[in-house]
Amino acid sequence: MLEIKDLHVCVEEDGTEILKGVNLTINEGEVHAIMGPNGSGKSTLSKVVAGHEAYEVTQGDILFEGESILELEADERAHLGLFLAFQYPVEVPGVTNKNLLRQAYNTIAQEQGREELDPLQFEDYAKEKLDLIKMKPEFIERSVNAGFSGGEKKRNEIFQMAVLDPKISFLDETDSGLDIDALKTVANGINQIADDDNAVVMVTHYQRILDYITPDHVHVMIDGEIAKSGDKDLAIKLEEQGYDWLIEPATASVNGEQQ
Amino acid sequence: MAKVKQKKERTFLQDLLNFQGSLNGKSQFLDKVRLKGAEGVRNTPFPTKKLEDWKYISLRDLYRDSYELASELDVEVPDFSEHYLPESEQSRLVFINGSYSEAHSTTEALPDDVTIGNIAQLAAEDNELLKEHLNTYAQNNFEDDVFTAFNSAFLKDGAFIHVPEGKTVDTPIHLLNIQTDAEEHYFATPRTVIAAEQDSEVTVIEDHIGLADNKYFNLPVVEVNLEEGAHVKHTKIQRDSRKAIHIARTAAFVAKHADYESYTITRGAKLSRNEPRISQRDEEVEFTVDGLVLIDGDQVSDTHSVMDHRFSHAESHQLHKCVINGKAHSVFNGKIFVQRDAQKIDSFQENRNLLLSRKGLVNTKPQLEIFADDVVCTHGATVGQLEQDELFYLKSRGLNEQQARELLIYAFALETIENISVDSVQELLAEEVRNFTKRQLDSELAV
Ligand SMILES: Nc1ncnc2c1ncn2[C@@H]1O[C@H](COP(=O)(O)OP(=O)(O)OP(=O)(O)O)[C@@H](O)[C@H]1O
Ligand SMILES: [Mg+2]
Repeated sequence: MLEIKDLHVCVEEDGTEILKGVNLTINEGEVHAIMGPNGSGKSTLSKVVAGHEAYEVTQGDILFEGESILELEADERAHLGLFLAFQYPVEVPGVTNKNLLRQAYNTIAQEQGREELDPLQFEDYAKEKLDLIKMKPEFIERSVNAGFSGGEKKRNEIFQMAVLDPKISFLDETDSGLDIDALKTVANGINQIADDDNAVVMVTHYQRILDYITPDHVHVMIDGEIAKSGDKDLAIKLEEQGYDWLIEPATASVNGEQQ
Repeated sequence: MAKVKQKKERTFLQDLLNFQGSLNGKSQFLDKVRLKGAEGVRNTPFPTKKLEDWKYISLRDLYRDSYELASELDVEVPDFSEHYLPESEQSRLVFINGSYSEAHSTTEALPDDVTIGNIAQLAAEDNELLKEHLNTYAQNNFEDDVFTAFNSAFLKDGAFIHVPEGKTVDTPIHLLNIQTDAEEHYFATPRTVIAAEQDSEVTVIEDHIGLADNKYFNLPVVEVNLEEGAHVKHTKIQRDSRKAIHIARTAAFVAKHADYESYTITRGAKLSRNEPRISQRDEEVEFTVDGLVLIDGDQVSDTHSVMDHRFSHAESHQLHKCVINGKAHSVFNGKIFVQRDAQKIDSFQENRNLLLSRKGLVNTKPQLEIFADDVVCTHGATVGQLEQDELFYLKSRGLNEQQARELLIYAFALETIENISVDSVQELLAEEVRNFTKRQLDSELAV
């Protein structure tokens, strides 16, 4: 479904290279987890896939269902079915969740040739999705993330995912900031959304969420590259041993070459 | 040398006074008001950029072109019923090019003890209430103002509303000032008087609409008096033609326990200048002077407000928001006075500007002059752009650039219109914001 090929990305403004050749293939029905130290480029990868303009792809490609999406704007990617749950969801005072989501839902529906929902139909539809992650109905009347607690913002991202029903979702540290019960509820919601036709990529630092959502593949990103991939056991090993064992040999070999 | 200068500053507006007398003869009372106005115009020079309060805008267009008093209405008027408010189907006064249009007006929904009508008619009837209130407040708050004097000198017609003691008028009153392009270069001097007696309540929508794209000079003066415990909600919507000059004065006096709530929306005119001056008449009052300015192209909008706290215990609120695009220029000067004996004043003032283009210009100057010591006054001004983070967030959800900008601009504007109590006005303003955003995108694409 999504193929990331030898992706090199730098910051548009100053040219600093952040991603240094990422390769990743995600198929329908799969759940992937990306782990890795702070600053290794996980969020950058997620944002580049979503179409953030602050980054420039200098090499490689991103294919969605076989076609490059590099030339597409963020909204056009969303129309195809890409979704990003932000690590730091943005507050948009004055724009209600309902207003944003109905407009987003209908725009996507229109682009995909599906039926649009009128305000009443949308209300019912949104209520269902709220239930899925046990979010209080008043949240959809509130301004997007404005004044939400950290955990509420994360939950709101998953609510939006549920409403927009994307084909592939990058969830950037959705688990950070959720309390233990909320984590369970949100994970449960994600499990219900995930099916054979879509895919989920979870960026996380902790093994815990993977207890609820079993990943098919686990990747470790280090310094802008996927340093290692494996199954869920890799996450357990990382939890126990940290990242040192992955970083050290790489450094050693570089040194080795230089000597 | 000085003499030459003097001559240069003299404008056709002063010369017009020769014709001012032609309005006289129908009401002795109005004749007197006009005479006083004419005297004021003779004795007061029209402002130039040299004055501190006028330094940011140029009135050259107004002084250079000549304008004539709009003639009596005998023109074919295009259908403007789309501008009627459903809430005011039976409570509407219409003025076309400054003249009252009986055919378009109706006040059936209003209680009998409310005095409402056009000033010319009431003056001809020698109405006592009119005589008591007309020009009392404008004269008081704009004593040295040549434009107010000019409005008086050429006072032809306008709206008069008197709400008796204890009366709540549920139906909003729509004052519709329509300008057509039947004439070029005319001026209109609509006067509005709202007199709210003790414990009365009334909602007034003052609406200025230019149907075409012609040049005219609109100089409305509004007088509002609130007696003890009165509540007046006053919304002004300015949608004059984009070639028009709009110079407006509002004088409001607020008595004990009274609440003057005003919202001013500026969307039209090439050059507009709004001057609300709110004066406290007694202790324990509330007033709101919120504003929303949406300008683009070569529009200039200037708001100079005065909130005069003269007695203790006042709560005042001024949120003035401006969205500026193209080469438009927004000026704000908000004066807050707190006089020596006015303690326990709680005053909020903020001017927020959303600048959408590089060539747009903002001059803002919140101004506090406090002579009392026990007061809380917050004031501030900001100039910002659309947040890239917010745009990306909305786009990542599937909204296109246009939808995302529209939502964000609407969100910015919302705070200044969401408290307006008439639903259809809120809706039409939401529509104005959308149209403004669309225009903005169109012009960007054209570049
Ligand atoms: N717009 C930008 N301008 C400058 N530097 C950037 C920008 N975006 C990312 N970076 C830098 O790129 C590196 C990778 O950042 P990124 O946010 O992708 O890390 P991460 O793996 O998500 O980290 P964390 O686990 O802390 O969330 C960091 O060093 C960051 O400072
Ligand atoms: Mg991150």
